[in-house]
Amino acid sequence: MINPPSDNTPAWCPGCGNFAILKVLDRAIEAAGVDRDKLVLVSGIGQAAKTPHYTRANVFNGLHGRALPAATGIKLANHGLEVVVTSGDGDMYGEGGNHLLHTLRRNVGVKMFVHNNQVYGLTKGQASPTSDPGFVTKIQTHGVVLAPVRPLALAIVEDCSFVARSFAGDQEHLEAMMVAALKHTGGTVLLDILQPCISFNRVNTFKWYKDRVRPVSSDHDPFDRAKALALAMEWGEEIPIGVIYRSKRPSFESQLGVLAKGTLVEQFEAAT
Amino acid sequence: MDLLIRIAGEAGQGVQTTGGLLVSTFARMGLHVFATQSYLSRIRGGLNWYDVRIGDAPLFSGREAADLLVAMTPQALATLRPHVSDGGVVVFDGECEGNCVGIALEAVAKEVGGSAVMANAVAAGAVFALLGYDLAPLTEYLHVQFKKKGAETIEKNVACVEEGARRAASRAGSLAAPAPTGKAVTVSSGTEAVGLAAAAAGVKLAASYPMTPSTGVFTYLASVADEYGMVVEQAEDEIAAVNMICGAAYAGVPAMTTTSGGGFALMVEGVSLAGMLELPILILLSQRPGPATGLPTRTGQQDLLFAVHAGHGEFARAVFAPGSPEQAYHLTRRALETAHRWQSPVILLLDQFLADLVTDTPPLEAALRPIDRHILARPPADYVRYAVTDSGVSPRAVPGSGAFVVVDSDEHTEDGHITEDLEARVRLQDKRSRKAQGMRAEALPPERYGSPDAETLLVCWGSTLGPCREAVDRLAAGGASAAMLHFGQVWPLDVAAVRKAMGRDGGAAGPKRIVVVEGNVEGQFAALLRQVGALTDCERACKYDGMPFTGEEIAERVKA
Repeated sequence: MINPPSDNTPAWCPGCGNFAILKVLDRAIEAAGVDRDKLVLVSGIGQAAKTPHYTRANVFNGLHGRALPAATGIKLANHGLEVVVTSGDGDMYGEGGNHLLHTLRRNVGVKMFVHNNQVYGLTKGQASPTSDPGFVTKIQTHGVVLAPVRPLALAIVEDCSFVARSFAGDQEHLEAMMVAALKHTGGTVLLDILQPCISFNRVNTFKWYKDRVRPVSSDHDPFDRAKALALAMEWGEEIPIGVIYRSKRPSFESQLGVLAKGTLVEQFEAAT
Repeated sequence: MDLLIRIAGEAGQGVQTTGGLLVSTFARMGLHVFATQSYLSRIRGGLNWYDVRIGDAPLFSGREAADLLVAMTPQALATLRPHVSDGGVVVFDGECEGNCVGIALEAVAKEVGGSAVMANAVAAGAVFALLGYDLAPLTEYLHVQFKKKGAETIEKNVACVEEGARRAASRAGSLAAPAPTGKAVTVSSGTEAVGLAAAAAGVKLAASYPMTPSTGVFTYLASVADEYGMVVEQAEDEIAAVNMICGAAYAGVPAMTTTSGGGFALMVEGVSLAGMLELPILILLSQRPGPATGLPTRTGQQDLLFAVHAGHGEFARAVFAPGSPEQAYHLTRRALETAHRWQSPVILLLDQFLADLVTDTPPLEAALRPIDRHILARPPADYVRYAVTDSGVSPRAVPGSGAFVVVDSDEHTEDGHITEDLEARVRLQDKRSRKAQGMRAEALPPERYGSPDAETLLVCWGSTLGPCREAVDRLAAGGASAAMLHFGQVWPLDVAAVRKAMGRDGGAAGPKRIVVVEGNVEGQFAALLRQVGALTDCERACKYDGMPFTGEEIAERVKA
């Protein structure tokens, strides 16, 4: 048998935004004081979805688009676990779009860190749900016609517990957002992370994002839903980053009476 | 002796309520019961019926001819009167002649009880009078059923029962009915049996998308969720449902989903995921005729090969197919145990016939008796999820217990991390595949009924158990030499054991004829037996009109 070399080094292109996100994720886990034994990183399929393999945690790397229902099942079985989904825009907003919508409705305590580079990387450069109209690929040869998904706006409409955006090129900001997300206890978190793809997205480059991202002003009230929604719709010369929206809606698991007696795992073990 | 009562009317008219009332009362009287339902995919209107067959000995099948038809609509009368047996009687909500008693069921209910809803009590009263039964057990049961609703509701229902009996008085006792033993018989439906077994075995998460005929089990689980400490979640689709239970199984609790063929089709990638991640999940696949949406409220056994082969790639799984509510209880538990022992997906095949079937069933254990999850309480410091072992089963830990638990749908190394190392791929595929050998070694053997040296052997699986058993009795009564072999587990198959059970292992002369009886077009189980080398020669008796087999039908076809 010819066995090609295989190792555990990240399968990302040199210079990929995923490296920065991985580094900051590790820092944020420590800074937020997350117990890694109780941390489960969940992902689907794609380049970003490989992230959990390159750090120390429990890992559930499932099917394409299906990170959220798996994460929901994990959280319901043991709500004492910190369940973080780290996956890409294609996985989370495209293949898994229906699950995104209903996870937001459920407001289960799962934290999504979505690496959003507006393009499909692993399948080599097709449009993603967040590709801008006109984006030309080998499939969308005349440019993307479909209206892009606005993930933050979608999350706000569904009253998501914590909605934020950051940029892989601003590690300090990204770490602050990840730490805030990890410390959040109310329900679903969506942290959309803008990330250049150096191989397949020659439009939305590091410089393109760098020139546009601007932190939300310090007087923005994230509990003001109308203003948050307006902010979430901004996408052009300026792209707001920071905590866009917060809700006081209680988490799904906190409303399940059966979980008041302990996690399902604990209850099963107590019965044996 | 036995007798069949058929309650027929539009959806929403209380057909099911009347049938349920009769079943519960007959069982309390000590009659043996076999009740089946025929209904349309609509909420109002149409023609539905509920068959209650009662006997002085256990019953195993329905039958086509009714001895007593209660027709609540002209359509019910027109369609079903031709299927009333010689000497049978009809009760019709309207005027009629001949063997028919006209009782204005709804009008009487309004007049006596103040609501048309109580037409079912009027009908039940008439049924009891025609069968010559004392009304006391019926009115006693109404006291139990409506205890929470209060004395007024009970009084009105009792008055309706009495009036129904009075209106049928001219023909009271005109049907020869089996004598009640007075010793109560316990009954269960297939639906209740599966739900109760799952809850008692310690299922902690049930995630499903509603789909007939599986919805009853999902509803049952929701109704006992608080009592057993279970989360029952309606998923956004079947894909979410199967992935949710994969997540829950990974985190350490027994988890299941309920669906029918179309929903199972959506779940198939998740079945493969459970195979790769080596997760114990249980999928209840309650069959209805396909393809596509098919006949949503009818029965069939068309998804056997689909269940056995579902999922891309190759991985071990087990498929169970109970034949009665009692078996459904025991095999649901065994399915969960098998899933956990072998860290594999397990499919439980049911169908509309068995899901809705209500019949004599010994009391089923309701106490919470959690199964063994086979989980390491304290994994070692150097723990890896997919250690290679002789049996193929790797010691299983769950997150939060002191060691990282890493699982990946990509091919992975022993530690669960993604790999493209082809030697590791072969090593891990071999490890997973070895589990199939162990599962095969402990596969349930088929159960035989009838003469040990029968000339004709009926082979069946799943819900066809009862009708085949009745067919064997009918054939034997007619002087034929027949037996039945029923498979409660249809995958994996221990070929040597199956050949021996069928008398095809080269030993003493086996049966002259083997007839595989199943509810599909192509003879799927016969094909599976041939595929594994358990059978070369057989006849087939297939049925795919959406209705369950009856004993008399099978006996006729086998005789021919």
